[in-house]
Amino acid sequence: MMATSDWLDLRGWIEGLVGWSMDNVHDALPSDDIDGTVTISLPTGIWPEDIILGRVFNLQDGFGQIQPALEGFFAATMICTVVFTTMMLTMLPIPYIERKFIGRLMDRLGATTTLRSLWIGESGVTAGKWWDQLPFGMGAPVGWLNKTLNSIWGNDHELEAVSRVNNRGYHGYWFLLPGFFQAFADFTKFAGKEHIVPKEADRTVYEVAPVIIISTTVLVFAFVPFGPHFYAASPELSVVFMMAIFGVAPLGVFFAGWASNNKYTLIGGMRSAAQLTAYEIPLLITVLGVCVISGSFNVIEIVDFQAQESNVWNLFMLPLGAALFLITMIAEVERIPFDMPEAEAELVEGWWTEYGGMRWGLMFAAEYQRCYAACILFALFFLGGWEAPFQGTMESIPIAGGGLELLFSLIPGIVWVLIKAWLLFAVFVWIRASLHRVRTDQILEFGWQWLLPLSIVNLAIAMFLRVWVWDGSWGIVAPAVMILSGIVGLVILVADEDKEALESMTRPYSTYAVTKAYPGRHPQTSLEDLQRQYTAYTAVKAATSVSLSETEAGS
Amino acid sequence: MTHGLWTLKIKVDGETVVDTEPDLGYIHRGVEKICEARDFTQITTYCDRLCYASANTWSHSYIYAVEDLLEVEVPERAEYIRLIAVELQRIASHLMWLGAYGPDIGNLSVMVWCLREREMMMDLLQELGGSRMHYNFPRVGGVKRDLPHGFAQRARAKVSLFLNRIQEYEALFDESTIFLIRTQGVGYSKAEEMVNHGVTGPNLRAGGVNYDVRTSHPYSVYSELDWEVPVERPSVKGADCYDRYRIRVEEMRVSAMMVLEALEKIPRGADTYHEPGDPALIAKAPSRAPEGASGSHHFEDSRGESMFYLAGGGEARGKNPYRVSIRSPMFITIPYASKCMVGYKVADIPAIMGSFDPCIGETDR
Amino acid sequence: MGKIVSASSQKAAAESMASALSSMDGVSAEVSERTSGTNPRNVVSVDCASDNWRQLAECLRVEHGVDYCSMITGIHWPEGGAEKNWEVVYHFMRMGISNPPVVDGMVQPIITDPTTLEGTDVPLEIEVRIALPETTDPKVASVQDIWVGADWNEKETWDLVGIDFEGHVGMRRVLQPHETPVGFHPLQKQHKLRYHDFEEMYDDAQGFLRKPSDAGKIK
Repeated sequence: MMATSDWLDLRGWIEGLVGWSMDNVHDALPSDDIDGTVTISLPTGIWPEDIILGRVFNLQDGFGQIQPALEGFFAATMICTVVFTTMMLTMLPIPYIERKFIGRLMDRLGATTTLRSLWIGESGVTAGKWWDQLPFGMGAPVGWLNKTLNSIWGNDHELEAVSRVNNRGYHGYWFLLPGFFQAFADFTKFAGKEHIVPKEADRTVYEVAPVIIISTTVLVFAFVPFGPHFYAASPELSVVFMMAIFGVAPLGVFFAGWASNNKYTLIGGMRSAAQLTAYEIPLLITVLGVCVISGSFNVIEIVDFQAQESNVWNLFMLPLGAALFLITMIAEVERIPFDMPEAEAELVEGWWTEYGGMRWGLMFAAEYQRCYAACILFALFFLGGWEAPFQGTMESIPIAGGGLELLFSLIPGIVWVLIKAWLLFAVFVWIRASLHRVRTDQILEFGWQWLLPLSIVNLAIAMFLRVWVWDGSWGIVAPAVMILSGIVGLVILVADEDKEALESMTRPYSTYAVTKAYPGRHPQTSLEDLQRQYTAYTAVKAATSVSLSETEAGS
Repeated sequence: MTHGLWTLKIKVDGETVVDTEPDLGYIHRGVEKICEARDFTQITTYCDRLCYASANTWSHSYIYAVEDLLEVEVPERAEYIRLIAVELQRIASHLMWLGAYGPDIGNLSVMVWCLREREMMMDLLQELGGSRMHYNFPRVGGVKRDLPHGFAQRARAKVSLFLNRIQEYEALFDESTIFLIRTQGVGYSKAEEMVNHGVTGPNLRAGGVNYDVRTSHPYSVYSELDWEVPVERPSVKGADCYDRYRIRVEEMRVSAMMVLEALEKIPRGADTYHEPGDPALIAKAPSRAPEGASGSHHFEDSRGESMFYLAGGGEARGKNPYRVSIRSPMFITIPYASKCMVGYKVADIPAIMGSFDPCIGETDR
Repeated sequence: MGKIVSASSQKAAAESMASALSSMDGVSAEVSERTSGTNPRNVVSVDCASDNWRQLAECLRVEHGVDYCSMITGIHWPEGGAEKNWEVVYHFMRMGISNPPVVDGMVQPIITDPTTLEGTDVPLEIEVRIALPETTDPKVASVQDIWVGADWNEKETWDLVGIDFEGHVGMRRVLQPHETPVGFHPLQKQHKLRYHDFEEMYDDAQGFLRKPSDAGKIK
């Protein structure tokens, strides 16, 4: 089976570069033997033979002996550096997505905020109709889209004062991506801050804890392939190692909570240790399910399985597994709804309250790195990694397939991985902005009583599929059944159970009818309609328009 | 979250709360003592700052007590204007509560949404009172200024927009299983126990009884409007946090309807404008209290029953009250809420405390 | 229209309670009519001797169904003479609240129509005034066990005014810091407000009288 490949053969280039340079060094070395021996002849009576110290060495041969190791070392260092840099750079959009998306969700300014806020005109024209400024009327469709969306889910109102509440001006130049370099500014600031250790803190453990957290998080990326030839290392059991390393961080969290000599961090550390342990096990079993269904413990082979062998993304074969992976990963990276350990309303910052300066900065980065790792792993395990959606199907179209194949080969695999990871992170942010925080004992109950059995069920399904259904391809039936079951499960979960009970038990006793909100529900009542509606409320209107002279004050 | 500054000492066994002891007084400013040296009109500004999230209800609570002391009768138009101000303030106070309660439970978005609607209410209150937070709005005998030009139109538009937006908050809270498991079954309180402890207002109405100071000890023109006291059906073991949340959403609705209706029913119409000092707006009030007189008034504050008791001074010191005594509902509710927490988890503390809507400004005076 | 308690039934209920209370020792009750802007309201106004206070409190709670203690005010009248040097004013309400019943596993909220309330169901305000003679340690019987709402009210009254409550369990400072000196009760009249009777804003805007050494300087 040919593994997937694209033109961005980073490993190959680096190995080639290193090999070429080592070969040049090899050739540049002198190839003659150099006599480095020293012969000592003693009188025959003391020692019969000559004593030869030293030996003859050949620089070129000697270099040739160590060359493979040297090449390996240099290549590994360079590829690790490149991958690390890529990881850090591609992680920069993550806090940007979080900030901007949460801002939009929180402000809920309607469907057209993103369109409107892209550009402010000169002289401080605020959130204006920038599409009218484009030449040749190119922006007219955008204007129409804006108007239509606003009329359905709109925010504009006849009254200026009400519109003012709804509109938020965005001041900046869109091509500079305002807010993008906030992350740099933040980390520069953290680097300059003082390192404070609480007086009674357990100093050794206090210092060790961030090291554990940060190093294990970064180590995960050693095995994460960004593209078919864009990885630092890929041993046979890379998934096992990644999950093992990912799971060491809770130890660091526990150390941090304990060593800070603060009862709130202790509570946070305990909660965190319990929560992360509880969700490690379903996570591991889910990942095991993925490995079973893909037939390998190596991440690249898992992606190749989806891209080449089965031509179906694992998401569709294991919808339950994907959902479980998502939920357990959100709990592992301690985001809302599972962020009790660092619940701001109760514990300041939880287990990392006492850390300041760069330690806090790096741990904050580590939290986002874990999030990013979770997103990339989801993309690799379930979303086909560096394969474009429907790539295999599109390439097998009779005539156009060849052109599409050429098109797809122009785009390096890393692009697809990143797009999927970033979109998944946007889903994480969406979840964060809309859900509430689950209480610790409820989190633990959910993890042990629901997720663990479900993950075992998922494993059983995976085993069944691989052993009995897989025969070189999935066929038609299996993916259809799995997708259908996934959709049915989703519908069952989303549908409102027991509407009557909900209505009667918890609806308040009130004379006013209550209807629930849904998008598009706002009636754009005009002012005249409103006045008409509320003058019908009472018949006193006529009686109140009495002239001043008729009544006395107080009646 | 933004409740104010106080200490709650808890004794825990693992994650379960075993004992609690609240410690108040961090922003005790000595308002009662200060008011003994101020004119009746000057005290209004202090009353705004008692509970800053709900300033209008406090200054009106005081003004009614002064009018009882000085035996002043208020013109009807002024009563309507006051009612509009008080009910708008109630909406704003409940929105602030909801905006703080969401983050307490973990939902960060709803804070921004509620504060955005509160902006609309604060714009309206700014038109009435002149500032966004401490309005100093009522005067002894009535109100100083009439409704501004065009106020009725803006108020109707904003309040009806708000009535639509309430449904979005309900969707975010009521349809979220996580919110329900966080707030249902947490912090039970029963009606009789609450009354014995001195808890009133929405906290009591969440317990299933429709006691409201506006109907039981009537004041102002609430009898002229068509409204019903909002009551919540509690769970069998008592009112839990979810009931206390729901009652306040219903109260917001009822207050919004009252504002719209008051704008219709106000004598001489909402669009006629009277100059300040017009007898339709304010009645002449004596500036000195008769000797030995006392005035008191119970008022339905956003958080419960607030009360002012003024002992008048007489000729020698007639312009200042001899003693001002302020009854703060939260001062009594916070110890009760602390008792409610016993037996629940540490993580339930923000949920329970938040659901009682504490405001430390009025607690500490 | 919004339903409110009818003033006449409130007045009748107040009068019946006042006459019932007046029959007790040391208690004289009357109905005083107050205004609330536009509505009149009738309050049962009781004057009680401090020795009979405990008995009156129990009678209010048990016989008249007064279930809510609103506020306790302590007032210091240094010029009140020997009879009325201190005064404790209690405000109670009879609310008539009971737990809503449970029918078929669901709670039925108690929705009362205020216009129909009569007799002992009518919500009432009761104001009890107890005058204490001139003394350095004024004290009144505590009603903490009768109404739990009186608990923190009594603590506050002692903290700020200095009136002690006999039988109160757990008396402590609530609004002032815990380490406030013993015997310091700021609402007593000998403690002047800084600039009491002195309007600094108008009479001494620069504050020179406060700090004479700064006189003559322009701040």
